[in-house]
Amino acid sequence: MDQVINTTARREEILKVRGMTKTFGPVVALNNVDLTLRKGDVLGLIGENGSGKSTITSIVAGMQKATKCDGMYYKGEEWKPSSMLDALDCCGKGRGGIGMVVQESGTIPGITVAENIFLGELGQFRLFQMKNGKSFGPVRRKKLFAAADEALKKAGIEHIPAKAPMAALDFQSRKLVEIAKVILKDPDVLIIDETSTALAQDGREILYKIINSFRGTDKAVIFISHDLDEIMDVCDTLTVLRDGNIIRTFERAEYDPDEIRKAMIGREMHGDYYRSDFEPACGEEVALKAEDVCLGESLKHVSLELHRGEILGIGGLAQCGMHELGKVLFGSLAPKSGRVTAGEDREVRSEAVAIKYGMGYVSKDRDVESLNLSASIKDNIAIAGMDKYAVKNFLILDSREKKYVDRQIDELSIKCSGRDQLVQQLSGGNKQKVVFGKWIGCGSEILILDCPTRGVDIGVKQAMYRLMTKLKGEGKAILLISEELPELMGMSDRILIMKDGEVKKQFMRSRELTDADVIGYMI
Amino acid sequence: MEEVLKSRSGDAVKKQKVKNIIIMLLPIAALVVLFAVYVAIILANDYNLAINLETIVNQAIVLVLVATGAIFIFTLGSFDISLGASTLFSATVGILVFNATGSLLLLFLTCIAVAVACSLLNSVLSSVFHLPMFVMTVAMLSVLTSIAGTIITTNSTSAGANPAISVSDSVLRDILGSVDTVWFKVLILALFAVVCIFVFNFTKVGRRQKFLGGNPVCAKMTGIPLSVYGIIAFVMAGIGVGLGAAVNVTYTMSVSTGTASDIGMSVFIAIVFGGMPISGGARSRIYAAIVGGFSYIILNNILNLLLSSVDGRYGYVQIISAVLFLAIVYVASINYRVKHLPR
Repeated sequence: MDQVINTTARREEILKVRGMTKTFGPVVALNNVDLTLRKGDVLGLIGENGSGKSTITSIVAGMQKATKCDGMYYKGEEWKPSSMLDALDCCGKGRGGIGMVVQESGTIPGITVAENIFLGELGQFRLFQMKNGKSFGPVRRKKLFAAADEALKKAGIEHIPAKAPMAALDFQSRKLVEIAKVILKDPDVLIIDETSTALAQDGREILYKIINSFRGTDKAVIFISHDLDEIMDVCDTLTVLRDGNIIRTFERAEYDPDEIRKAMIGREMHGDYYRSDFEPACGEEVALKAEDVCLGESLKHVSLELHRGEILGIGGLAQCGMHELGKVLFGSLAPKSGRVTAGEDREVRSEAVAIKYGMGYVSKDRDVESLNLSASIKDNIAIAGMDKYAVKNFLILDSREKKYVDRQIDELSIKCSGRDQLVQQLSGGNKQKVVFGKWIGCGSEILILDCPTRGVDIGVKQAMYRLMTKLKGEGKAILLISEELPELMGMSDRILIMKDGEVKKQFMRSRELTDADVIGYMI
Repeated sequence: MEEVLKSRSGDAVKKQKVKNIIIMLLPIAALVVLFAVYVAIILANDYNLAINLETIVNQAIVLVLVATGAIFIFTLGSFDISLGASTLFSATVGILVFNATGSLLLLFLTCIAVAVACSLLNSVLSSVFHLPMFVMTVAMLSVLTSIAGTIITTNSTSAGANPAISVSDSVLRDILGSVDTVWFKVLILALFAVVCIFVFNFTKVGRRQKFLGGNPVCAKMTGIPLSVYGIIAFVMAGIGVGLGAAVNVTYTMSVSTGTASDIGMSVFIAIVFGGMPISGGARSRIYAAIVGGFSYIILNNILNLLLSSVDGRYGYVQIISAVLFLAIVYVASINYRVKHLPR
């Protein structure tokens, strides 16, 4: 069971985990797992959603405790961090600990970037510093901002001002701030949990630069990603987890995508990953229309038409305005000028109106905007579809509701202990399936999908692509916003590339279309 | 290996279900235990059990009525600090109308109408000024207390230091006395509770309220606007306050500046005692108000009996209640934090 990285066997161990088990209520997330990480390694962890990748790393990083563990050792000493801060602080030693960038947002929106970076450590910036190390008085904000700017620079992030309020940043920038916050502490082990999917290419480059600075040194990186190409490219070794067990570790020389996939899902993958046809096809009827939409610097005179039976891809870098466009189309953001209409000239002014006109929206920020984490699968799926099963459009009967929810659970193969399981206990892919179930169940005719496969493993990704193809076949209109070019090219009938809030270029679906054709219009 | 995992998982599912049932039944078990202790103390001291039980019902019914309606507000993750002031104000207007007309129906309708109007004012103003609802309720607490105080002082029928408006006419007192029975009050509570449970659990409105409390951002993105459902929540709370105010008038036959003064905080503590999560959301339950309200009143009575010979008894009772409140919130939050950890 112990997965030692053979090629680096000469190097000293930095982290060793023995017999780790973790259960979440009914779910066995980790089953007696052993793992060894050596200095200089960039170790990739890969596996389907719910395989235990985030669980093992979050325990190592002090976020939670193992249910049972025979031993956890860091630099040869017993490792028992009481919190993430404690782990980052190397259990009181100050520096050289274990830092983790988490999968979902780990920043606080109501304060500035600088305050987020120095959260819990603002004392060092207070006006009065005592000899005993204590401090009081107001925070010297100039000094704080300068230090935060320095921390961002150290991480290679220079476009985010330390003074900026966190809430004003997009998802990518918030993730980059988290990275800077961890790097500031000079961790000797850096854990990056499914972070790159929140980043566009420019953000990923920053991340890769940081990872490379750890490679071959006395430090090490654990990198978690669902992007097989990326993880094979970035990591020296790959450890595959499935259902809480370590299945196999691949050396770089052994990398074979099919073998890795097989190890991940326990079977061969059959059929096409993306759409197999290369002919753009859609209905005549316009389902959704944006006319000359403007929204500050985010959107400048954007017009588009989405037809029934069409998958319209929107691509670009993270700050190109595509995420804002999705929200404007769904009525969540009011445009400064221009209008959005659904069907026969019915103006979309709010989310409630959009839903009334048969629209559904899958947000990139899934845990905040698409799911109620403290509620059950049943509550989350049922909430948008009550018109479908309520008696007289008013009365909710348990039997009808259960039938409605169970149908979505079955059709989308949501892995859960039952409809009453809390959504927060599900893995990323299954959470996303719940979001799909919420909008498909209520019969949405127009779906706006903003990075729908973010943080989703390849098995679920394939299932989602098939579902999108099926929905297209049923005449549904799909707007696919994505930062992944292969996904856009693999699934869209048309692709609109955005840059600086404007639509720069339109590409039609074609077998000949390549990344190189598209990238030039994004950058 | 898979079979072992499946069997382990099956066991864990059962354990989780049992745990959930225990958590759900815990407040009810606590009520039963408190009731048993209370009865034991009454019997041990040779007090009249029937009279004391009637006192418990009379004390609890107003709190439970107000708390039952207030569940709709707490479900949204908000709270209303002006519940007591609103009860006082509607009772004040209600007793004036009753003294003028002698109509029980008008007493109840007036109390409900005034309380709903106060609640609507809270929610509509917070919507207009884009302020958190509880902020409006803080302002409303001062406004309503002042207006009610002025009305009571101006129309006081009491000669003592504590101004109060009483029902002094014997015919009118007989009318109030005719409904000042345990059965009538329990009937009022039962009817209101049934309506609330129905709205809360079996209608789109109730389901949306719970969803909204769990994640307002996601609720908005699902087409559930906080402003609309906030107004509905405050209207339901207003009905509870109105009924509570009217029942209070039938029992006390008077309204003073001290009437219902601590009901706002008592409601808060009571619903937490009843097992309602402080953050609202999907785990909100109407029965929390009923179970918690009775538990809180019985606990207060037990403490009063046990500390009957101690000076400053009221203070001790309040401190012990506060400590218990904190303990329950702490235990509930530990449970929540464990569940909330990411995987």
